Order: sequence, then C-alpha cells, then structure tokens
Amino acid sequence: MSGPDVTLRLAGQPAGEPGADLAELLRQAARGDESAFEAAYEQIARPVYGLVRRMVRDPAQAEEVAQEVLLEVWRTATRFDPSRGSAMAWVVTIAHRRAIDRIRASTAQAQREQRVGAFREAPPDSVADTVESRLDAERVRRCLGSLTSLQRESVTLAYYSGYTYPQVAALLGTALGTIKTRIRDGLIRMRDCLGVSR
Amino acid sequence: MRVGRPEPHPLTGVYALDALTGPELDRFERHLPRCPACDHEVRDFHETAARLAVAVAATPPAPFRPRVLQAVSATRQDPPLTGGRAGRPPVARWLAVAAAAAAVVAAVALGIAASATQHQLNQAQAQIHSAAAVLTAPDARLTVRATTAGGTATVVSSRSRHAMIITTAGLPALGGGRVYEVWFMAPGRIREAGLLPQPAAGRTSPLLATGLAAGDRIGLSVEPAGGTRQPTTAPILELTVPA
Repeated sequence: MSGPDVTLRLAGQPAGEPGADLAELLRQAARGDESAFEAAYEQIARPVYGLVRRMVRDPAQAEEVAQEVLLEVWRTATRFDPSRGSAMAWVVTIAHRRAIDRIRASTAQAQREQRVGAFREAPPDSVADTVESRLDAERVRRCLGSLTSLQRESVTLAYYSGYTYPQVAALLGTALGTIKTRIRDGLIRMRDCLGVSR
Repeated sequence: MRVGRPEPHPLTGVYALDALTGPELDRFERHLPRCPACDHEVRDFHETAARLAVAVAATPPAPFRPRVLQAVSATRQDPPLTGGRAGRPPVARWLAVAAAAAAVVAAVALGIAASATQHQLNQAQAQIHSAAAVLTAPDARLTVRATTAGGTATVVSSRSRHAMIITTAGLPALGGGRVYEVWFMAPGRIREAGLLPQPAAGRTSPLLATGLAAGDRIGLSVEPAGGTRQPTTAPILELTVPA
C-alpha cells in the first residue's frame, strides 16, 4: 500500500477546487498559499510531467526535471504576469525550457541515444487518462493532421524532441531557411486550428 | 489580422519552440523588444505549444506528488519584481559583469600572447566568444560568495547558455600539488566543471565552464593534482544558480 498522502481519484474528476482558475491559483500561491499551489498542481502536473517525459525520455530524469519545473513554478509564481499570456502557457514554457536544458546539457549522450528513430517510434506513455485531456489530445491530433507533413514533422521534432532547428533541418534533409518558415507556418496553422490567438 | 503592422520576423516560430541557439538567439532576443508584432506572435505560439503539451499529459508515478509538495513547503519564493522594466539588475552588477568580461578577454589574450598556433588562436577565439555569450546573456547573473576556507568566489552564470564563469580572490594557497576543482551539482549527480587556474597575486583568472543544467548548484572543493571525477573532500563553497 502506498502512503497516506495518496488519494484515489476517479478519471476525469477534477481535483482541488473544481474549475478553479489557474491564474488565480498562481496569484494566491505567489502569496505563499501552499494549498492554492496544491490545487494548481492538480492542473499542471500531468502536462508538465507528460511533456518532460516525452522530451527527456529517461523516466528518472523526467521526474527530476518535472520536479524542478514545479518547484520553479512555486518559486517564481511571484513573477507570473497574466497580461503576458495564460498561466498554462507560462508553466509549459518553463517546462519546455528546463527539459531542453537537460537535453542539451547532456547532448553527447542524447545524440547517441536519440539519433535513431527519435520520432518514428511511438510516443512513450502518452495515454491520456482523463476525458478532458483525451479531447484535447484528439483536437491537437486533428490539427496536426491538417499540416503538411514537412510542417508537422518540423514542429513535432523541434517541440517534442527538443531539437534545435539546424538539427531538425539535418534530420529532415531540408535547407535551414525552409525549416524556419515551415515551423512558423505550421505554428500559425496550429494556432488558427486550435483557436488560441489572444 | 495585423493591419498596419510589419510582418513578424521569420524566426518567431523556432524561437517560441526553443529551437534557436547561439548568436542567432542573441540577435533575435535583442530584436524582440523592438518588434511588437513578433512579441505578439511568440505569445500566440506559446499558447499553441501549451496545447501540444496538454495533449501528451501523463500521470507521474505516485510518490511524485508528496515529494513535490514537500519540497514546496521547504522552498522560499523569489521576491516579486518591483518597478522599472522587468527587474533590470542594478548598474553595479553590470559594472562587475563588465569587469569580469574584461578579465576574461585579458586572461585569454595573455594566454595566447607568444608563439600561438592557429589552432590555439581559434580555440582562444571560441573561448572569448563563449565567455562573451555568457556575459551578455539576458539571464546572466552575478553571485559573489565567501568560501568556508576564506576568500571569495565570483560567478557569472547563464542558464540559457548552460554555462558559467568563475573567478576567485584570496583563496588559501594549496600545497602538495592540490587543486581547486569546480563542480556542477544536482541531486544524485555531480559533474566536473573544471579546475581553477593557479592563482596569481591571490586571484585566479576566469574559468569558463559549460554544461550547466537547470537545478544545478555550483560547488568548489580541494582535490588531488589533476582533479578527480567526483569530489573527495567537503566543498568549501556551494551556491545555487539564480534563475
């Protein structure tokens, strides 16, 4: 049996205050409110861990990085500025950068391990286990499907595999300038398809 | 619609996905504050990327949650930024950084003064370039700390450049061929970051160390000549890299 901290939760049932606004929770957490952070944790832990796990791949390292990210969210919640974007985008941006830090700090190993089949392989453990995230995942998949294959591959290699754009260009055997514009075009299409423009 | 706005820079996409590095990243980050259309687009792309992350959400193993929440209750929060634009560091800091920059350039220049081969020149140039990249990084942070053995260490670190520069003053002289070794320290993982050069007049010239990862702390310890793979003595300095 696991320790007393672990609570059972039905799939899809939101934890903490149902529907609590993440930006508001971060604002409260910024004032040292640990229970507000705990409620924020319920919303951000899965995207953070899922993204980091997918990028870093090694489960132990992924946990380490995800923990660093969540601590950084707590530590710097005081500096979150809602006028600059959504709370989830702020958190995910931190997660992506920290995962990149980890990948690029151990580039030598990473290159050896990832050179082969980094993106042809099935993604690790991306099983969405709540109804909402399954719908989100479905919408993202559909939108990714509306990109050209070059746009899709360059966006996913850069984002999920954490490659620099020259590395993406090398993997796809495409000119640097082409990759730059394909990534931008792909993101514009994704933005419009997902309706996230602010 | 972006009526009347200039077309955003073509690098907004690769920048938003953290796929831009080196001098190109520096140039784009200097350009960004002057380009509202770029800034707007980068923010949109960050929102888009957040959806890509949510789409691969996965539940961490059970012990993760209590561990994080426990760490949270043991972690002090950063103070909020007050006034001015985005917490520009005080002028004194920049003067210190500039002085450190000058010292690095001088040190490298002295090191290659006589009879340098083309290879050495290239290496020196690359080193100056890397050092400059750290010192001019938007997230360069200066930390000055006393060591437990006496003397002080001055560190300029940049997380975005995965690098730091360390100089020291007044450290005790070491006998018996021992050296000061610098470490990158993460929980359960300590990596060599380099050996401090021999001091001249009580100071060591700047050491540039790359491979700094998020969450690393920087350590300094006394080690046998030539350095070791893992510290064999208690560190005389341990500092957290500021965000």
